[in-house]
Amino acid sequence: MSRWGMRIDLDRCTACGACAVACAQENNVPLGQPAKAFQHLVRWLELLPVKRGEYPRADVRVFPMPCQHCDKPPCTKVCPVYATYRSPEGLVPQIYPQCIGCRYCVNACPYTCKYYNWEDPQWPEPMERGLNPDVSIRTRGVTEKCNFCLHRLQKARDAAAIDGKELDPKDYRPACQVICPTEAIFLGDIDDPSGDVASAREDPRAMRLLEELGTEPKITYLKERGP
Amino acid sequence: MTNTLQAANEGRSSRLLGHVVLLALSAVGIWALSVRFSEGLIVTHLTQHVPWGLWISLYIYFIGLSAGSFLLSTLIYVFGMKRFEAAGPLALLQALGCLVLGMLLIWIDLGHPARFLNVFAYWNYSSVLAWESALYLAYSVVIIAELYLVLRPALARRAHSGGPLAGLAKKLAFAGEAEEKAWRSKAARWMLLLGIIGIPIAIGVHGGTGAIFAVVKSRPTWYTGLFPIVFLVSALASGGALLTFLTAISSRLPKAQKLDLVRSLGRLTVGVVALDLLLLGSEMLVVFYGGIPHHVAGWHQIMFGPFWWIFWFVQVGLGAVVPILVVLGKRTGNAIGPLAIAGLLVVFGIIGVRLNIVVPAQIEPEFATLPDAYHHLRFVRGYFPSGNEWLVGLGVVAIGTWLFFVARRLLPLDEAEQLAGDHSTAAAGPPPIHAKAEGRPAAAAGHVSSGGDL
Repeated sequence: MSRWGMRIDLDRCTACGACAVACAQENNVPLGQPAKAFQHLVRWLELLPVKRGEYPRADVRVFPMPCQHCDKPPCTKVCPVYATYRSPEGLVPQIYPQCIGCRYCVNACPYTCKYYNWEDPQWPEPMERGLNPDVSIRTRGVTEKCNFCLHRLQKARDAAAIDGKELDPKDYRPACQVICPTEAIFLGDIDDPSGDVASAREDPRAMRLLEELGTEPKITYLKERGP
Repeated sequence: MTNTLQAANEGRSSRLLGHVVLLALSAVGIWALSVRFSEGLIVTHLTQHVPWGLWISLYIYFIGLSAGSFLLSTLIYVFGMKRFEAAGPLALLQALGCLVLGMLLIWIDLGHPARFLNVFAYWNYSSVLAWESALYLAYSVVIIAELYLVLRPALARRAHSGGPLAGLAKKLAFAGEAEEKAWRSKAARWMLLLGIIGIPIAIGVHGGTGAIFAVVKSRPTWYTGLFPIVFLVSALASGGALLTFLTAISSRLPKAQKLDLVRSLGRLTVGVVALDLLLLGSEMLVVFYGGIPHHVAGWHQIMFGPFWWIFWFVQVGLGAVVPILVVLGKRTGNAIGPLAIAGLLVVFGIIGVRLNIVVPAQIEPEFATLPDAYHHLRFVRGYFPSGNEWLVGLGVVAIGTWLFFVARRLLPLDEAEQLAGDHSTAAAGPPPIHAKAEGRPAAAAGHVSSGGDL
């Protein structure tokens, strides 16, 4: 069985932000109403800026941060109703109809990748017609999160089954990976030693976020090469 | 004679005023609740970064009060401290009322309140919150059973005397006064058993509520082994303090006996408050000595953040130092009024403790770069409860207080206190010497005081 992980090559990343837009579009993430509070926005894929230095020599790098899909997720441990869990394939999705909205997981996630729905989602007029039918719309009162475009895995598997074949890991590509113009984002099977993600984990540039908390995140960032 | 009548009239009108105020606050609270349920949690000032606020603070506060009150009652029913026996029924009623308030508050805080039974349907054994839900249930069963056993002799007496609600009392007591005598020893055994079952449950209830926070490793201020213990100790402090205050204002024991009881409760309370300060000092010493930045940041937020005064004035000053001085004082420590105020101060101080537990730890970002991710003018990092949160909190507390005083009047608590009081005096022999300092012979104080419950 595959264990899905991701590598994000920061050396290739141009900080264009396409991944964040594609993610929101694919997963029916609402724009939010900036007229109200800004801190209630839902963003499955966040662009985190890292600032270095001060003004004349200031330098800002942006790195894309989806859910880290930990192998030992703190959020699934604390959920009282089993609304978030680690699947046998290593994904950490959320079951919206089961969630009671206690926001324990929001607090427990050290990566701040869990988002509570403070309001019912709304889209400005033409956008409402472009919603993705494969993804459910989350209503007010539940927590949601990146699930590595789980519906795309299901679709790829279905397509393979129709042809009577096993799933080719190359056919499972989340929206952020599809859109990335520089192929900085790549999703694959960690347990496949010849795969891109597995080899990225051995790369000297590899780093994983907050590893010291023992969460075993499955997103490997590759640091930029020297100047 | 006219004096007594006047006093009774005054008591009645002030009681009426109390009812009006509480019901008005409750009505406002119910209106605020309806807004919260129709609009959702957007009416609060909670955010993705501070998802828990005032209601969660009040929830752990009331769970703490409840557990503290219950643990105090076990001093009587399990460890046989006869000194406190007259406070037993009130402690149990208080434990029940505060538990209901706490559960109500966390229910209001849920994003999907109607789904709360999911906790039992989709039980996740690794979640502290799931275990807590089960413990709250078991705990409420224990309290209700104990309360019934404690009140049963008084119910039987009321049924026999044919006072108000005698018929109902007779039904509830299942027996007359004659059978009741035979029941008494059996009831004491049951109380012992329930208390022994109840102690681990109460420790689980509140230590576990502390563990809800302590296991969250993403918030370094919460993530310490001392946390559940601090919860338990401050629970005992708040429970004892509320019991001191309520006994002082609502007990109808003879004055000397009442003073003795209130004084014992007050001393117990400040002892626990002192222990709480010790734990606080230990935590602060380790945090600041170690100086690990994200550990220090949370405590810095508590002590020197925008709400520094909650820590210095509410939590430490009024909530701990002043009550300790009042109870230790030679004059103030021997009068019901100051002791009641000391109790009330601790009760309020612990609200500060709870707020400081919940909020500042969340204000500190989990990620050093996180504040930069929201470089927007409208983004506010911080938390202050919204108007709706205040009104709901106030309303729920008002409803709880009102229900408590109604229950206090309807249940035969006075009779139970009286029975327990007689029992404890008989067991403990003559009242201790300092009771005589009141300058009032016990016989003259022997009638029901016209004390102002509400």
